[in-house]
Amino acid sequence: MNLGVAKRSSRSEGRLLSWLLLPVALIALGPVVRLLLEGVGFGNGLTGDYLADVMSRDSTRKALTHSLVTAAGGTLLSVLIGGAFAFLVALTNVRARGALVFCLMVPMMIPPQITALAWMQVTGPSSVLLKMVGLAPPLGSPQPLHSPGGIILLLGIQHASIVFLTLRAGLRQIPADLVEAARMSGARGLRVWAQIVMPLTLPALGAGAAMAFVTALGNFGIPAMLGIPARYSTLPTLIYQRLVGFGPSALPEVAVLALLIGLVAIAGVLLARWLLARRSHGLVGLSGQPLSISLGRARLPVEIALWSFIAAILVLPMMALLFTSLIPAYGVPLTWANMTFDAWTEALLRQPMTRRAYVNSLGLALGAAAILMAVCLPLAWLMARRPSRATRAIDALVDLPYALPGVVLSIACILAFLDLPFTDLTLYGTIWIILLAYLARFLVVMLRPVQASVGQLDPAMEEAASAAGARLGRRLRTIVLPLAAPAAAAGAILVFLTAVNELTVSALLWSSGTETLGVVIFNLEDSGETIMASAVAMSIVLLIVCLMTGVQLMARRLPKGVVPWQS
Amino acid sequence: MAELIYSGLTKQFDGSAQPALDGIDARIESGEFVALLGPSGCGKTTLLRLTAGFEEPTGGEIRMGDTQVAGPGCFVPPEDRGVGIVFQSYALWPHMTVAGNVSYPLEVRGLARAERARRVEEALSLTGLTEFAHRAPAQLSGGQRQRVALARCLVAEPRAVLLDEPLANLDLALRASMQENFTAFHRRTGATMLYVTHDQGEALALATRVAVMERGRIRQFAAPEVLYSEPADCFVAGFVGDGAVVSASAAGPLGRNGLEVETMGLRVAARSNEALPTHLCIRPEDVSLTDEGGLRARVRGCTYQGGRFRVVLDTGGEDLVAFSRLRLEVGAQVGLRIDRPWAFREPGLSALPARATAHV
Repeated sequence: MNLGVAKRSSRSEGRLLSWLLLPVALIALGPVVRLLLEGVGFGNGLTGDYLADVMSRDSTRKALTHSLVTAAGGTLLSVLIGGAFAFLVALTNVRARGALVFCLMVPMMIPPQITALAWMQVTGPSSVLLKMVGLAPPLGSPQPLHSPGGIILLLGIQHASIVFLTLRAGLRQIPADLVEAARMSGARGLRVWAQIVMPLTLPALGAGAAMAFVTALGNFGIPAMLGIPARYSTLPTLIYQRLVGFGPSALPEVAVLALLIGLVAIAGVLLARWLLARRSHGLVGLSGQPLSISLGRARLPVEIALWSFIAAILVLPMMALLFTSLIPAYGVPLTWANMTFDAWTEALLRQPMTRRAYVNSLGLALGAAAILMAVCLPLAWLMARRPSRATRAIDALVDLPYALPGVVLSIACILAFLDLPFTDLTLYGTIWIILLAYLARFLVVMLRPVQASVGQLDPAMEEAASAAGARLGRRLRTIVLPLAAPAAAAGAILVFLTAVNELTVSALLWSSGTETLGVVIFNLEDSGETIMASAVAMSIVLLIVCLMTGVQLMARRLPKGVVPWQS
Repeated sequence: MAELIYSGLTKQFDGSAQPALDGIDARIESGEFVALLGPSGCGKTTLLRLTAGFEEPTGGEIRMGDTQVAGPGCFVPPEDRGVGIVFQSYALWPHMTVAGNVSYPLEVRGLARAERARRVEEALSLTGLTEFAHRAPAQLSGGQRQRVALARCLVAEPRAVLLDEPLANLDLALRASMQENFTAFHRRTGATMLYVTHDQGEALALATRVAVMERGRIRQFAAPEVLYSEPADCFVAGFVGDGAVVSASAAGPLGRNGLEVETMGLRVAARSNEALPTHLCIRPEDVSLTDEGGLRARVRGCTYQGGRFRVVLDTGGEDLVAFSRLRLEVGAQVGLRIDRPWAFREPGLSALPARATAHV
């Protein structure tokens, strides 16, 4: 028998396609590997002394403490908000759940620097909103959000949806008969919740908290907007300040810092995975109606409370942002008479920097979405139909660039692309390094929906085409692509959404001429152009809500799990 | 159209102890309608998928006419084999219309538009689908989808048509009419057809020859009437048709009309081509209820089957099945006679010599 020969002749097309794994692995995982090598002293990087030097520095320890404090505080707040919402929305009979969930998800999709900007327009002495109701603190009093407390508050709100989504998924796995059995035993109301539901959902809650913690740890936008003015640095902002201050010469030092956050983040991700794996263990095989507890007469008050909360975390800051973008000069209260769109026209039509940023961000987001769509379809097909050790490895590791904090990936990308191997070229300072970083970071955002969709395809669909004489390329184009197109489109919109308002990666990778929208908002606010920053921010929020609504409308026709805020 | 020849075909899936196919040797003539019949897990679908080229054999070879399509150092992928296949799930592409589904194989072959339209039209009218040409598959009934799958498979004029339990998802009434469709279609096109099913009624009704499979092997490959009246072993005798399998031994020499066997303490004239049979296959038609047969039995059960009763008879150790015009009381004693049943030798069992059993 000569199986080897038989395999080679028959699966040559599949073989050809497997070469796709190489660039995917290089771009998605190469930078991370490069960063790890830096940590163990590869190249002209560091030695043990240097590591010890950076670690023993006062600023490092301070930033690490700040990072841990704000991330922990924010996580606590996220657990409170997300947990309350999850229990009420998933377990009880409140109405309009879809709308509630959608509104809770908007803060997650709005980039953190815009969240911070918007909240700063709610509080502080120059708040248009407070001025209109006459509650503004006197001029010269400090902005209350420029503090650890402010960072914690906004991190908590921003990441509440992460806890919410994990916990809701966990709650849906609890069969109703467990609660019914508790009721038959005489337990009621809160007792059922505390003794049956809570213990069963603790792992999910823990996993959600771990993920919120990792995300909060990597958050750059909020501590940058709120912490830098207050001279309160976290690890991501410390890296940013070092790199902006000293350029690539600070690379060895910031690489250590990046590795430090990376390690803490990976520990958090592993903890979350472990908790989730434990959860599914005990409840496997049980099925039944999902829980639905009647709130009785408390329903209306609960609904009012939930919607008031949504108003406080979403409507209030967005209104403040909108009002600020409409005033003629900072510090002036908004009236019907002085309302003006000057900042909007200035920002969107006249300023070359903002226009360039729009072109850059839209181009990068479109480019990343298009390239990832072209790559993920064959990739998902390979993973589903020709599984091998290589595809399984990529499947497991592809989460890494997305799970790692953005600053870590940025540093990794700078290290990897500063000197292109075998050439004199550098990508540092060009727009291509941002594109490559986006491709690495958002690969998984695109891959998972397409994977879900391809996984649901009946293999007979392709076999029928194969028997009809269609070769692999044609089958992918005429059968797999059209059938996976809705999921691919949703994935592309998600990539676009995430990429268009991305700040963390581009803040470290941009240079003059390659600004992105996130960078421009940050820079405008930094240089005191708050009104114009608000106008740009508001225009992005509108774009995001439109895109999210588009995905929402498509949701019915998509496989389960494609739309992150639905399950 | 071409004949299909399997020799020593073996398929072993990773991680399973038993081979899915264990040395298949068979020859399907051009234009034959062959059914692969067997219980689930017997390897019939694996054989079909190997024929289509969706799986590679572990050993042995497959030839289509003069060309080897699978064998040591050679594997022709499905798209180059020129076979048509109809799946159990039909596998119609939901994003194409009926006409789009049917014309796809022609588009792949790069036929000119006019030629394509002509042949699609022809295939649709052959399957009675002309008026549904522009519908989406989702708007069709099960039977109509089945016909679209058939039309899509035919339009490319395949060398062989493979059908994987194509009627499994249809209701009983529709099955009967689709069976007629298949027979009519086979007559009209003369295509070589390989039909996988676990329903013996379907296999016996449709096929010119049936291959009965069990545990990766073909137990018997013969015309339906031969399978019924002359089963090769206990498995085929029990799996195909009604009746009983009882052990027996030769009690006389093998002549042109068979031989005398001894069973249940009785000497019976049996049809056979085996000098030392081990078993008898006694069909209900072989048993007549009469007091002159010399065998007494107790009625164990009696079920009405429309026009006749199926009676299970306990002869004291062995159960026989007979048909009766009249209802019999359970527990009643009846006399019966066995007329020329089929005697065969179970492979792997050694038959005792005739004289030795005579004393038992």
